[in-house]
Amino acid sequence: MTHSWTNLDDFQTYIDGGGIVEPNDRMPEEFRSEVFRFIEFHANSELMGGLTERDWIPRAPGVRLKQIFLAKTQDEIGHAHLLYQVAADMGVKSRTEMLEDLFEGRSRFHNVFHYKAVTWADQIAIAYLVDAAAFASQRAVFAECTYGPYKRVLKRIVAEEGFHMRHGEEMLLRLTEGTDIQRTMFQEALDRWWWPAVQLFGPDSDPDDPLLRWKIKSQPNEQLRHAYIQKYVPLLQSYGFTIPDPNLHFDESADDGKGAWVTSEIDWEPLIATMRQGGPDSRRRISNAAANYADTAWVRAALEATAVPA
Amino acid sequence: MRAPISATLCPPPLTASVRAAVGRVHDPEYPGVSIVDLGLLEAIEVSGDAVTVSLVPTYGGCPALDLIGDDVRHEVEAVVGVRSCTVTWLRTPVWTQDRVAPHAVSQLEREFTVTLRRTDGSLVCPVCGSGSVRDTAPMGPSRCRSLAYCDSCRNPVEVMR
Repeated sequence: MTHSWTNLDDFQTYIDGGGIVEPNDRMPEEFRSEVFRFIEFHANSELMGGLTERDWIPRAPGVRLKQIFLAKTQDEIGHAHLLYQVAADMGVKSRTEMLEDLFEGRSRFHNVFHYKAVTWADQIAIAYLVDAAAFASQRAVFAECTYGPYKRVLKRIVAEEGFHMRHGEEMLLRLTEGTDIQRTMFQEALDRWWWPAVQLFGPDSDPDDPLLRWKIKSQPNEQLRHAYIQKYVPLLQSYGFTIPDPNLHFDESADDGKGAWVTSEIDWEPLIATMRQGGPDSRRRISNAAANYADTAWVRAALEATAVPA
Repeated sequence: MRAPISATLCPPPLTASVRAAVGRVHDPEYPGVSIVDLGLLEAIEVSGDAVTVSLVPTYGGCPALDLIGDDVRHEVEAVVGVRSCTVTWLRTPVWTQDRVAPHAVSQLEREFTVTLRRTDGSLVCPVCGSGSVRDTAPMGPSRCRSLAYCDSCRNPVEVMR
């Protein structure tokens, strides 16, 4: 059975009643284009994230960690694959068009993939902090997510990211229990990655954000960011690390008297720069991704070729 | 004198509690699905208060083996009467999809949109039940899954392999 709606109010009533939109439904164009943009951004981020993991396979210390990074790379690229399929199916852009836009620097992906991972500790900060931020925001999308195919893919992505987080925690604990040099390495990585991780959630949501209204997102950005800060400030402090924020403090009266960690005013300029491909490592990352795509053209050609009878 | 009936018909009680403990371990990629139902458990040996649990990996290169092993040890060592638990990963027998319990198959289909190939090699869509599912990529997001797509309801589907 396919659904159709006469107008946006009618559609909103369907959404508010717990309805899920399927690809064969005659969805409003506004919904189609907004949801497409959101999934395309997610797909691009999984692909760029997977390529980051891949960079560290040869440099991961020990065969077990290499195995984990290999598997994580396959996971992220596989997620991108699924998401590009769901996005392409919405009929706005083909998969090739999305990839070309990404490699030409015409489309966006998560801010955290515009920075350079300098040491192995950066990779652990990414696995522990950045993956956790991405996980929190994906879980909040999965919680409602009114577009059926996206929700089904997210179910598996969220399960796998949860599993990655256990790896991140394990790697962090190992470094925490290590030498002073290792602890210093992580502190330096934390100094580089704390703010990008916090900024990943984005500035406060527009109260009229259509993605909230249509229940693609279940919570505004600021709520997710706040919950993340409350969880990770005490955790990192308990391991003996310092959050790189001189104004960070616990405000007893915040959150209706329950108390909460309050950060400095967040500077959104770095995030905005990444959205214009102007982050510290944007250029190199995008050109590497494009070169990788060109280098693997023969694999795609081989897969698409049909056997010629001898 | 004949042995008491309970000793001949029932497994020793410790083995049963260890089995139940292993059953409480879920696959990290399928929260809610027991590793016993996925066919990972091959044998339990109890020797006094020491237990050895032998498991079969779906894929040798699976990155979850250490985590699953830790979870099994943790659950089994919490069983009253067990002092230590060793987990071993076997190379044989090889895991095959017919080791998956029928209700785990429906859990995977219903909750994760992950399906198993029928014995004749065909695929049925876990979302809409149609037979118009085609393979799209041999490599999925996991060692143990490939990608497919349903032309009828237009959902990406993953296939355990």
